[in-house]
Amino acid sequence: MRGWIRIAVALASGLLVCAEAAAQAACPVKIGGVLPLTGSMAPITKKIAQAAELAIDHVNQGGGIKGCPVQFILRDDQGQPTVGVDAAKYLVEVERVPAFTGTISSGVTGPIISSVTAPSKVVQITCCSTASPFTLDGRSAGYFFRTIPTSKTQAYATASETTKRGLKKTAVIYVNTDFGTDMLRFYKAALTKLGGEIVIEVPYNDNQASYRAEVSKALAAKPESMLLIGFPKDAVTIVREWLSLGGPRTIALNNSMRTMDFVNGVGAKFVEDFFGMDNAQVAGPQVDAFNKAFEEKFKADSKGPGVHTQYDALMVMALAMNIARDLTGPSIKDAVRLVHVPNGAPVGTGPGEFKKALELIKAGKPIKYFGATGPIEFDANGDVTGPALVWKIKDGQIVTDRTITIEEMQALFRRIEN
Amino acid sequence: MTGIFSYLVFFACIVLIFGVLALGLNLQWGFTGLFNAGIVGFYAIGAYTHAILTAAPQPQYLGNLGLPWIVGILAAMAATALAAWVIALLTIRLRGDYLAIATFGIAVSIQLVALNWEALTGGSQGLSRIPKPLSGVFDTPLAFNLWFLFLLAVIVGGIYVALERILRAPWGRVLRAIREDETAAVALGKSARRFRLEAFVLGSMLMGLAGALYVSFIGFVSPFDFLPIVTFQVWAMLIAGGSGNNRGALIGALVVWGIWSASGIAVTKVVPPSHAAQGAAVQVILIGLLLILVLLYRPRGLAGEAAVVSRHAAD
Amino acid sequence: MIGQAIADGILTGAIIALGAIGVSFTLQIMRFANFAHSELLTWGAYLALVFVGFAGPGTPTGPLSFGWQLIAAALFAAVLTGVVAWIVDSLVFRNLRRRGAHPLTMVFAAFGAALVMRNVVVLFWGHDSHFYTRELQIGVELLPGVRMLPDQIFILGLTLVVVVSLHLFLTYSRTGMAMRAMAESPQLAQVCGIEVDAVMRWTWILSGALAALAGVFAGLTPQLHPEIGFNLLLALFAAAILGGTGSLAGAVIGGLVVGLAENLSVLFISAGYKTAMPFLVLLAVLLVRPQGLFGEKQ
Repeated sequence: MRGWIRIAVALASGLLVCAEAAAQAACPVKIGGVLPLTGSMAPITKKIAQAAELAIDHVNQGGGIKGCPVQFILRDDQGQPTVGVDAAKYLVEVERVPAFTGTISSGVTGPIISSVTAPSKVVQITCCSTASPFTLDGRSAGYFFRTIPTSKTQAYATASETTKRGLKKTAVIYVNTDFGTDMLRFYKAALTKLGGEIVIEVPYNDNQASYRAEVSKALAAKPESMLLIGFPKDAVTIVREWLSLGGPRTIALNNSMRTMDFVNGVGAKFVEDFFGMDNAQVAGPQVDAFNKAFEEKFKADSKGPGVHTQYDALMVMALAMNIARDLTGPSIKDAVRLVHVPNGAPVGTGPGEFKKALELIKAGKPIKYFGATGPIEFDANGDVTGPALVWKIKDGQIVTDRTITIEEMQALFRRIEN
Repeated sequence: MTGIFSYLVFFACIVLIFGVLALGLNLQWGFTGLFNAGIVGFYAIGAYTHAILTAAPQPQYLGNLGLPWIVGILAAMAATALAAWVIALLTIRLRGDYLAIATFGIAVSIQLVALNWEALTGGSQGLSRIPKPLSGVFDTPLAFNLWFLFLLAVIVGGIYVALERILRAPWGRVLRAIREDETAAVALGKSARRFRLEAFVLGSMLMGLAGALYVSFIGFVSPFDFLPIVTFQVWAMLIAGGSGNNRGALIGALVVWGIWSASGIAVTKVVPPSHAAQGAAVQVILIGLLLILVLLYRPRGLAGEAAVVSRHAAD
Repeated sequence: MIGQAIADGILTGAIIALGAIGVSFTLQIMRFANFAHSELLTWGAYLALVFVGFAGPGTPTGPLSFGWQLIAAALFAAVLTGVVAWIVDSLVFRNLRRRGAHPLTMVFAAFGAALVMRNVVVLFWGHDSHFYTRELQIGVELLPGVRMLPDQIFILGLTLVVVVSLHLFLTYSRTGMAMRAMAESPQLAQVCGIEVDAVMRWTWILSGALAALAGVFAGLTPQLHPEIGFNLLLALFAAAILGGTGSLAGAVIGGLVVGLAENLSVLFISAGYKTAMPFLVLLAVLLVRPQGLFGEKQ
């Protein structure tokens, strides 16, 4: 037994000393990442990790951070909070990352914020964690940002669109996590103001083999339409079972379903005219540039939950770290909002734009970052708001139906909340 | 070097919290032979009781009473003991695997209650801003983690000494007698049922304590913290460390959590981020293989099982 | 409403029953809880996928969404998975048995093996979902308010055939009788001259084959992914124990009870609690009959 312990201790110390030694040097600058590479979220994380990799590539091609190349260290949180917290702590203390990105599940992001991010004063930007309290109740001491709007934006927009299209007697089937319950709550609040009707709400726990029970329960309320809030893998099962059991084909979806995995999973001929919402992916040269770069590098389309927001999270981080006076937490935190200044020169996605941004920063000029999700402007809490868009499936392709501008969104907010 | 030290202190805190869980399980399994596969359920009860009592008040929640840390700790232990007593009464007749699946199901149900009963537990959002003990005094992360490590060391040390004492005392000896040869023990007039109940409740109480400690260390709790993987991890710790052996429980906690953590570090050193997804799969394979290897070469655990009363114990 | 729930429950139950049979016999004959059993479902499903990758699922025959090729794929997968099960036993569990390892050690070795098996699938196929066929069937209304897919009716029929065949095998063939003897009392079986190793080998092969079928059926309705077996693991164990280990009827009834419990429960309570239902039913059964419905009293 002593032998075991000796070997284990030697191995562990070896790994840690390696890491520490590497951490001492000024270059390369390390950025950390915590994502659920395995576990129930894994199917959507693959592309998100690729988006992260693309961002780091672009940053390095465009000049790096403070003259140093960037090294991205990505750890798996396995969907378990303790593992995620351990990984984040390791990145912050041993690898000395000045900032990190992560994670997806609020159950893992939450503990990281309260035990690593806030106490150690390290900037954390998430692509995908939408639980509103994280930014609103002050627990992050201002160190937590997200490039994805909270569920409120999407929920309000969804309510607006479903009433606009005259959807009646909607059954809502939603994933029983903070994301699903958040969306439902805001959707219901908005819908009551806008005059729609929910006939039944059915939660589902994810990762089950079959959802016939939930679908049958929803169908028993005789709905004429359905709103599905969840993630692609289970959504494919639910929609297939819904259609098989004779459910109406008027189906509204949330942003996660805006991916060919969903379209192909159900079958292109069966999803015609399904529609959904997504956050601020304003079409434009910056978004197109990103999509093109992604497709070129990974030979797969760039549609999918979290892909664009992850790219932006890392670009924003890299820009902020260049703007910051030094690579300490407080400096980077203050620099994050300087990534998008009203009178700044516009910079977009891609290595060329990043290089341009660095030159502007060096010359002390303000910049205005337009990312893969459009203009990235953080509010006082660290959240982004923005336009929404309505997408739909036509002939097996995901196309944009219309966009809801920021002004329209703000008007909508006012109408619902007054 | 402070970075590594800081991380190791944090790591050690997590190990000790797992250690408390493993010690509780050891009392139930190692000494009483009760196959409790619902560890995470008691962990959850302790954690949520502490959170509900100590978190800052918020209008939408029933609980959040903002009470002091020690009240939360004691209440967590009391609540878990009560729940364990009820559960034990229901399941005490069940043998081995059946007890396991029953307790497993209870743990699943507890987690689902935490997930669905929003008004009390915060539902899927969880409860946040749970106060950390003396965080005002120790205000840097390193200082707080060191203080908490000290606190945990004292608590774990205390539990260890207490357990060793109890097990050598008459109560403990009866327990082992029942485990070794129940018929004989009963023939001597000992109520096996009563002792099993007590051991189950005491062990569960420790698990509740671990939950309260975890939550006051991290400052946040959500139903996500209580998935079945935790039960598997604690069991693996006890089996790998050596069941029936308090020292084994703690060693197991260190080794298994160390494997979990180190495999993640190793993968980042060896696999480039572009292959992160495959690297993560490899990490899990590594964990599985290491577990199997430990069990193949040390089937009685790293610390070995404590000396048994009778040679016929392994039935 | 209730008719549909019952139909759904029977279908889910059939798949769980096939998986639970293997669990039940392993529990009773090998005396340990094999947590890697669920990965046999996953492997079975993916091995069939390999076959389908070469031969295709076949043009939809009649109302079904697939042709005979998928059946062939399922049989191919069943045989292979049986072998895989036996190999895993030879590599891991047999060694531990020989060293007199405690059953709990075996459980954890199984857990480790499950992690390895599941992630090998991930390494080769990734986390994305795969499909045997791209057809989407519309349910047929069997009775008013009760719809089932033709595929599902076929699965039920096939499961019935398999279970009946298995029952005949266990009752009338030598190996089958040997298995039942060992399930009842290993020591007595040995005394009667039954080759323990041969029986164990057959138990593994059969468990693997049945698990593979369950995996293929699960993958058919409607998709395959690496966690397909793992998501059913607890239901399998609940069913096996509820029915009483070592009993074919027990595993089948247990599976049906679990499926029905899940599907009927949502009629009365929030679907957020659905996944706990099998356990609550199990607890209720064990309170009244601690050995399970058809189990032997200890």
